[in-house]
Amino acid sequence: MAIAPGSTNIVASTTMREDEWSQLLARLATAGDEGVFARLFRHFAPLVKGFYLSNGGLTPESADELVQEVMVKVWRKAAGFDPRKSSASTWIFTIARNSRIDYLRKHASNEAATSTLESEDIWSEGTDNPPFVYLQQSLDQRDIDILLSELPQEQRECLFKVYLEGKSHADLAEELNLPLGTVKSRIRLGLSRLKSAVNL
Amino acid sequence: MARYHPEDELLLEYAAGRTDWAVSICVAAHLHFCPSCREQVAKFNRIGGHCLEQADKVDVPEDALNSVMAMIRTESRGEKAPNPTKAAPAVKPAFQQLPPVIQKLIPDSGKVRWSFVTPALKAARLETGQDKYEVCFHRIKKGGTVAEHDHNGRELTLVLQGRFSDENGTYSVGDFLMKQPGETHRPTATLDQDCLCLSVQEAPVKLTGLVGRVINPFLRVRPG
Ligand SMILES: [Zn+2]
Repeated sequence: MAIAPGSTNIVASTTMREDEWSQLLARLATAGDEGVFARLFRHFAPLVKGFYLSNGGLTPESADELVQEVMVKVWRKAAGFDPRKSSASTWIFTIARNSRIDYLRKHASNEAATSTLESEDIWSEGTDNPPFVYLQQSLDQRDIDILLSELPQEQRECLFKVYLEGKSHADLAEELNLPLGTVKSRIRLGLSRLKSAVNL
Repeated sequence: MARYHPEDELLLEYAAGRTDWAVSICVAAHLHFCPSCREQVAKFNRIGGHCLEQADKVDVPEDALNSVMAMIRTESRGEKAPNPTKAAPAVKPAFQQLPPVIQKLIPDSGKVRWSFVTPALKAARLETGQDKYEVCFHRIKKGGTVAEHDHNGRELTLVLQGRFSDENGTYSVGDFLMKQPGETHRPTATLDQDCLCLSVQEAPVKLTGLVGRVINPFLRVRPG
């Protein structure tokens, strides 16, 4: 995972994000502009596809299909995006995560057929989904980026693998050839740094 | 305000979309009651955003943008009412106070089918579209004690109404407990009211008390 050089001396103190993608997404939210959407698409569609492929469980064809679904949702839900509450990448992550869950359930078995729930009922998507009313954000995306980049490599690796490769803690322990307890404590340490930073 | 919470590792796996369906339902229901865990999940979502931003880009087909634009235009021309399939579910009075995710598990009739487990415990199985876990309401009669039992798999309990206590503490609405295989406990509802819990069990429960031998495990409770 690359670390942006010099990122550690950025002090994020403003509530408004300078992240251009979040600004663009906010513009899409208010204007519904196809040109703006095309720029977002060119940036995020390949990212979501790459993210899906590293996640496992999807063929490139099904990843393409899902990426399109995600981007349609980005358009449709854009009005609910609030750059003060979320960055574009986090907002799109939640949509991509939920779409993948529904897709895998639909294709894995007949499970989804008997369910009255969809992923959106269980995982809040974006920032517009009651009952998940967000509290005032204590850390913004850039703070998180910085904190993550400052974590020791071994802790960061364990954290990211949960997201990127869909590893359970037990899978990770096997892959890294470490006792489960060690993996858990790395994740726990990483998390506690993030947690303690909230109250800065 | 809930005092017993899922561990951070579980919230992390939930935010990453890695938790089993039934476990996720239980976590989501806890989040309904718990602002601090919601905050925590929001933070873990941001780790997800970070991972997405750092993913290796993989090209999508050249015509993908056009297909997506075509879908969007078709959709907006259709002037569909927003989420036509998701009309607000009919209010089910007995369950009005429950988290929305739990209300959606209640059949349209508004009734769940209670089965007698012990004099102190009734259970009603909920259909969640998965079979790895048994998802039930448990209703402990006020002042009633559930036979001591241990677990072959994980058991998650979320208090929905009332309170119960066991050897380790007293649990109120929103409290989230996870028992590991081998852990035993003996829940007792408080005297003032019945206690309603969501129970998510990974594998059949063995009753270990004296009385327990003649009692069916909760998992054998089936509607009908
Ligand atoms: Zn909590």
